[in-house]
Amino acid sequence: MNDHTVKAYDDELRELRAIVSRMGGLAEDQLVGAMEALNEFDTDKAGQVRASDQALDQLEIDAEKAAIVVFARRAPVADDLREVVSSLKMTGLIERMGDYAKNIAKRTLAISEMGPVAIPQILDQMAREARKMIQDVMDAYVHRNANLAMEVWERDEVLDNLHNSAYRTILGRMMESPEKIGVLTHFLMIAKNLERIGDQATNVAEQVYYTINGVMLEEARRPKHDVTSTELVTDD
Amino acid sequence: MTDTKIAKMTAKDVHVFYGDNHAVKGISLDLHQDEVTALIGPSGCGKSTFLRCLNRMNDTVATCRVEGKITLDNEDIYDPSIDVVQLRARVGMVFQKPNPFPKSIYDNVAYGPRIHGLAQSRTDLDEIVTVSLEKAGLWNEVKDRLDSPGTALSGGQQQRLCIARAIAVNPEVILMDEPCSALDPIATAKVEALIDELKGRYAIAIVTHSMQQAARVSQKTAFFHMGDLVEHGDTTDIFTSPKEERTRDYITGRFG
Ligand SMILES: Nc1ncnc2c1ncn2[C@@H]1O[C@H](COP(=O)(O)OP(=O)(O)OP(=O)(O)O)[C@@H](O)[C@H]1O
Ligand SMILES: [Mg+2]
Repeated sequence: MNDHTVKAYDDELRELRAIVSRMGGLAEDQLVGAMEALNEFDTDKAGQVRASDQALDQLEIDAEKAAIVVFARRAPVADDLREVVSSLKMTGLIERMGDYAKNIAKRTLAISEMGPVAIPQILDQMAREARKMIQDVMDAYVHRNANLAMEVWERDEVLDNLHNSAYRTILGRMMESPEKIGVLTHFLMIAKNLERIGDQATNVAEQVYYTINGVMLEEARRPKHDVTSTELVTDD
Repeated sequence: MTDTKIAKMTAKDVHVFYGDNHAVKGISLDLHQDEVTALIGPSGCGKSTFLRCLNRMNDTVATCRVEGKITLDNEDIYDPSIDVVQLRARVGMVFQKPNPFPKSIYDNVAYGPRIHGLAQSRTDLDEIVTVSLEKAGLWNEVKDRLDSPGTALSGGQQQRLCIARAIAVNPEVILMDEPCSALDPIATAKVEALIDELKGRYAIAIVTHSMQQAARVSQKTAFFHMGDLVEHGDTTDIFTSPKEERTRDYITGRFG
């Protein structure tokens, strides 16, 4: 796309884009950090993840300020308008990803106090899938690749399926060892958190797609195979 | 654009030449009652030229040649049997620079109805003047000084006086060529509010260089570039997701 005649306008949009990209990178780091802390029962690392969440909150505020400046000064229309509005929504979604990572870290601290326990392998698998979604959707954003955004959106199903398996696996273990129900509930919630991170990435993909093409990525929700969402107690 | 509604005015494959200069290149566009159409595009792209074809203002330009078909209620306005004075009463025009006659406020508005014989009596004429000034949102500001010269009003008031003058002859279509370019934001807002008010009764076309004004006042937007109609559609679509790259570049400020 051509540059704006007014260079400062491009600078303002670039700044906004830079914030969104940084947030995507940070959210990914937070997810990786939270999973490492969990696997290693590393309470220091979990504490760091909890503290680092603030940076995402701050960046979201920065993005909001930058977007308001663009609205006030440039009265954006067309592609610019879609981009600014989507940026606002995307930063909200990415900030939520951070919240889920933080919640995993918080549960890790609790789990660490409960004594040794085997971590369900499938959680790692879910985290890898979720991380790939974040990476790819941010890649789609930076390179304005609508096809990749669409692909990420479709891939959410993989994570949903993994979540269903995780749910069944953990539930099975709860029945085998009722005395471990406390710690296993944390795993259940961590699985849910990971699945929610994937949902946020899917929503980001919708925004990226809309920004690029100006049409909503298929309003109609694809059939969900997720059986757990109605059965699970809500996250705290 | 195919519309299910019946168009008030229809332009079909309109070409305009000034001597060898091909200023408008085959434009087809409908104007509907109940609807404001904004004409946007860079300077010299033919907006004013096209607009002036719609009430044959170009007839006065010796070098100007108009081809194609323009109809008002399905009647060809370039047909030899058409009375051009009558046509301009039905298709009124408001210009960039407010141009009240050097006469009283009253006479500015009464002028058209008088020459078209729309009033049977002084009472009739008073009524037309009052109603026109009311519709133009100017009545309260001038009712106590109808005898003072129209030129003594502020720019924004003068522009609304010109709108009152245009609507005094019961037009069906109103053409506005950058009507707010000389007005401050308050006067602009008043004219825009007026356009909203008027749109139920008239088909309106407005040329504007303000993207925000086009977005605010119109339901349809037509983007002209170098004599071509590049894109024409719902204003909300044009300003959120234009289909053509040239439209996007122009409205987002990426041109040239
Ligand atoms: N009276 C005229 N005689 C000769 N050429 C004219 C005349 N009026 C306009 N033109 C030419 O026709 C072309 C279109 O001009 P027009 O005034 O319609 O553009 P416009 O889109 O209204 O521009 P602006 O936004 O500057 O008002 C230009 O090349 C212009 O020079
Ligand atoms: Mg003009």
